[in-house]
Amino acid sequence: MWNELRELYRYRELLWTLVLRELRVRYKNSYLGFFWSLIVPLVTVAVLTIVFKRVMGMVIPNYSAYVLAAFLPWMYFQTALLDSSQSVLAQIQLVKKVYFPREVLPLAAVLANLIHFVLALLVFFVYLLGYVGAPLLPSVVLLPVLVFFQTLLIAGLSLIISCLNVFYEDTKYIVSIGLQLMFYLVPVIYFSEQVYHAQLASPEWQRWIYLVYHLNPIAMLMTAYRKILLPPITVQQIGAVQKQTFASLPMDWGLLAVACGVSVLIFVLGYAFFNKRKWDFAEQP
Amino acid sequence: MKDTAILLEHVSKSYRLSHQPYSSLKGILLSMFRYRRRIEVHQALNDVSLTIRHGETVGLIGVNGSGKSTLLAIIARVIRPNAGRIEVNGRVAPLLQLGVGFHPDLTGLENVYFNGIILGLTRQQIAERLPSIVRFAELEEFIDTPVRAYSSGMVLRLGFAVAVHTDPEIILMDEVLAVGDEAFQHKCLRKIQEFQHEGRTILLVSHDMNQVRQVATRTVWLHQGRVMADGAPEEVVTQYLAFTEEMERRAI
Ligand SMILES: Nc1ncnc2c1ncn2[C@@H]1O[C@H](COP(=O)(O)OP(=O)(O)O)[C@@H](O)[C@H]1O
Ligand SMILES: [Mg+2]
Repeated sequence: MWNELRELYRYRELLWTLVLRELRVRYKNSYLGFFWSLIVPLVTVAVLTIVFKRVMGMVIPNYSAYVLAAFLPWMYFQTALLDSSQSVLAQIQLVKKVYFPREVLPLAAVLANLIHFVLALLVFFVYLLGYVGAPLLPSVVLLPVLVFFQTLLIAGLSLIISCLNVFYEDTKYIVSIGLQLMFYLVPVIYFSEQVYHAQLASPEWQRWIYLVYHLNPIAMLMTAYRKILLPPITVQQIGAVQKQTFASLPMDWGLLAVACGVSVLIFVLGYAFFNKRKWDFAEQP
Repeated sequence: MKDTAILLEHVSKSYRLSHQPYSSLKGILLSMFRYRRRIEVHQALNDVSLTIRHGETVGLIGVNGSGKSTLLAIIARVIRPNAGRIEVNGRVAPLLQLGVGFHPDLTGLENVYFNGIILGLTRQQIAERLPSIVRFAELEEFIDTPVRAYSSGMVLRLGFAVAVHTDPEIILMDEVLAVGDEAFQHKCLRKIQEFQHEGRTILLVSHDMNQVRQVATRTVWLHQGRVMADGAPEEVVTQYLAFTEEMERRAI
């Protein structure tokens, strides 16, 4: 693996050129350019805010900020995986002719999306400080740590997905369906506190459900983004029958450490898997 | 630098051919229910040994499917042989087929940078060679136009221009010259001759026997993954042509 990483480092200029090319191609024929990638989360969050406040009766100050704090990392996760699933296959003609470390293709797709994510986070901070007027928490310094581990997680999955998609083209459909289902298993449109207080659970099970839910590293990372970026809040839902209150839970650092560990593991395993198959790509008829 | 540019010792390569391709979920499911998976192995190269010295121009000839492209792919380190040893001394540049590596939405200039870097140049080097690349491709007026608007001849010229400016020690050409027009082919042949004078090594796959006679200093004839003949172009081409005539006569 170290040899592979060293070779990858030797080809860093190619990686960077691919990232720039990806960004350039995406916005070549549009006037609004980068703003398109902001419009999607903003519109989504606006719709979600209306639905949850007006229809579901959630009483949360600055609800939209809490949704965005989780939705932006989710967008990064989703678009990076979808983009990279096709990344090797789209360049298969080049792969069949020219030697270069094959991993630059999925990694470039991930890095291009990372750049989007960072830009979107900057816009988020402008919104937070300028519009919402929320104070910046000291825990914001942990943001790069979360972004780093999330990127490792995404890179590991991308390596596996892009490799499998060369041999089995069903992969990209499975990934797309999997992501749609996964969306409901991560705290974007609800809060992790609501998982803790899930209605079906008896009190002794609450802790376990919360734990198992957060063993999914992306779910834990998204809970963590919310908790480090925004102050704790008490969620109230005014239902037809009763009013429910979900008290804020503190950050579970142990679970976050597990999520980071799992992300590293997925990256290492994903890279090993990719390396094992990458010299078979050129033999695909 | 070593005297040997490319050394192949007992190189064999076989491809797995599955009749039910596994490239879909259906394929995998079907194969699970089958009594035994039928995977055939096709031997594309069979115990090939070759020593190519720096400065040689080797014409590689043979009927379709004889293993020429596989041999070049192994030298380019794109696929790995199943058996045998290879040694390549020097930087290899494959000449890409028409349009490979080009993105239609990007301009000629942007594509030059991408192609140059993938072939091993740095940004700096490309910037220095840019005027010469554009002049060689004769695309001065179109270099800032998206490649989508290029004719195939223009794409070919640009690809060739980048590749010849990567300063390679070993150049691989797999039937790439057949597409261009007369004038461009002449220009390419001149460039090849220039390379020969500079002592670079060239491997040229071609079905144009006149071209092979004209530029190659040595010719290798592959058939069914084996080296049938290796020597002076005139002799090997004559043998090969006699063989193909014989084959045609038998087919009738
Ligand atoms: N990716 C592949 N998968 C399976 N078989 C292949 C593949 N590439 C080439 N072959 C087979 O290997 C043999 C040699 O192919 P190739 O090297 O492309 O020959 P040539 O370039 O001389 O026409 C052919 O019979 C071809 O069908
Ligand atoms: Mg061929």
